[in-house]
Amino acid sequence: MLEVRHLKVSYGLTQVLHDVSFDVPDGKIVAMLGGNGSGKTTLLNTLTGLVKPAGGSVMFENAECAGLSAYDLVRRGIVQVPQGRDVWPSMSVEDNLFLGAVTRHDRAEIRKDQANVLELFPKLMPKLRRAAGSLSGGEQQMVAIGRALMARPRYLLMDEPSAGLAPAIVSDMVDTILALNERGLTILLVEQNIGVAAAVAEHAHVLQNGEIAFSGPAAGLLDDPAVLRSYLGR
Amino acid sequence: MLLSYLLLSGVTTGALYALVALGLVVVNKATGILNFSQGELFMFSGFIAWSLHVQLGLGYLPSFLGTVLAGFALGLTIDRVAFRPVKSSDVIAIVLATVGISFVLKGAARIIWGGKSDYLSFPPITSPDPIVVGPVLIIPQQIVAFLGAVAIMLGFAAFFRYSRLGKMMQATADNKKAATLVGIRTDRIYTLAFGTGAAVAAAAAVLAAPLTLLYPDMGFSFFIKGFAAAVLGGLASLPGAVLGGFLVGIVEALAGGYIHSSVMEVSAFIMIMIVLIVRPTGLLSFYQARRV
Repeated sequence: MLEVRHLKVSYGLTQVLHDVSFDVPDGKIVAMLGGNGSGKTTLLNTLTGLVKPAGGSVMFENAECAGLSAYDLVRRGIVQVPQGRDVWPSMSVEDNLFLGAVTRHDRAEIRKDQANVLELFPKLMPKLRRAAGSLSGGEQQMVAIGRALMARPRYLLMDEPSAGLAPAIVSDMVDTILALNERGLTILLVEQNIGVAAAVAEHAHVLQNGEIAFSGPAAGLLDDPAVLRSYLGR
Repeated sequence: MLLSYLLLSGVTTGALYALVALGLVVVNKATGILNFSQGELFMFSGFIAWSLHVQLGLGYLPSFLGTVLAGFALGLTIDRVAFRPVKSSDVIAIVLATVGISFVLKGAARIIWGGKSDYLSFPPITSPDPIVVGPVLIIPQQIVAFLGAVAIMLGFAAFFRYSRLGKMMQATADNKKAATLVGIRTDRIYTLAFGTGAAVAAAAAVLAAPLTLLYPDMGFSFFIKGFAAAVLGGLASLPGAVLGGFLVGIVEALAGGYIHSSVMEVSAFIMIMIVLIVRPTGLLSFYQARRV
């Protein structure tokens, strides 16, 4: 269980997250929705060690994790798939995957995990030696997810995995997220695409101006016209 | 005979400039800043090599290894003293910190080795007599320096292509955020970049020492040549830095031989200007654009 309590984050004098509290139970998919500037990416970056919180607590399996480095969090099993893929463009797909396991030293298991990633994304198999920057957006997203899986995460924190993808590829991405969850991964999905969140998440939160404005079952929340109009701009 | 001599001379000094440029590029790729103390690291390392070889009587190879290690340690010190404390500051502050380090190294060299315009000579490690092979005039010392520099370049290429650490450095240079998110400790990578950059400068200094005189102000000249080479390669390309180094060395030698010796020093600046006007992203940018 990932328990976020009263989390506060500031950039200088500007407070970006105000008293954010929510849970991500083991084995579930939880969606965090919100418009541009609502604080979604800051929240994810704080949970994965890129940003230090100004206050609050992040408990992961009964241990305090707030303020730990990204390295420590990856080793504990919390891994982020960043927005915009963020692959290493000049490096090969194989090296991108290999470096996903940089905190591990069990070579045989790493090779096994690479085979599992290629089983999940067979399209990457013939492109292992190609520069990751030369792949399509959808393939780069596969590399980014595959790279995160190489760390053997238990919690996968995905930042807008559907952003910039063609509708057909978005549908594949939904299938991938569900498949990962079926394999036992807990997922916190930060999204602007309400359709993707509705298709995969059991529980959802809406972040507005750095605060959780609504929480509830994903289906009910996403059908609420007031939520759509007020907080997602629809 | 003159052309072959100039070409060999240019290729040899070019290989040394390439090493200085590689040091600049490694630090620039990882941290995004230009280490203005690279020339003084080269100078200081040359003096360390002189002390190990001449004062302590160590052989050339142990002196080489000792100097490279000392250079690496100097690089780590620069990271701790000049980069880490100001790394969150404006880039100007970071660059000025490296300029400060260059003055400190120059002053320290004067204090330790009693420079005061004195020139120290490093004993030749091969026969100083040239060998004539057909129309080609070969100076053995130049061949040793050239082969040593090429061996270091190949080792460097292999390090980045095949080693886990080299790949981690490349990943940090490509995208720091992504590197941090997979668990690469980027602060350590920066430290390693400064250490590696300084170690390469040290290796270049030991190879160059028997071919030149050592004096505290020699660093700036080598920095400018290395910088020109790095700019020719686009500042972030390791193969580009090597190509740039050879070009600067050859053009400098030909300009000195066929135009006038005073043109030698200016040739690097002229090349920087031409490249910045014609192809500001570096000579290999076309190749890189095609790859991506």
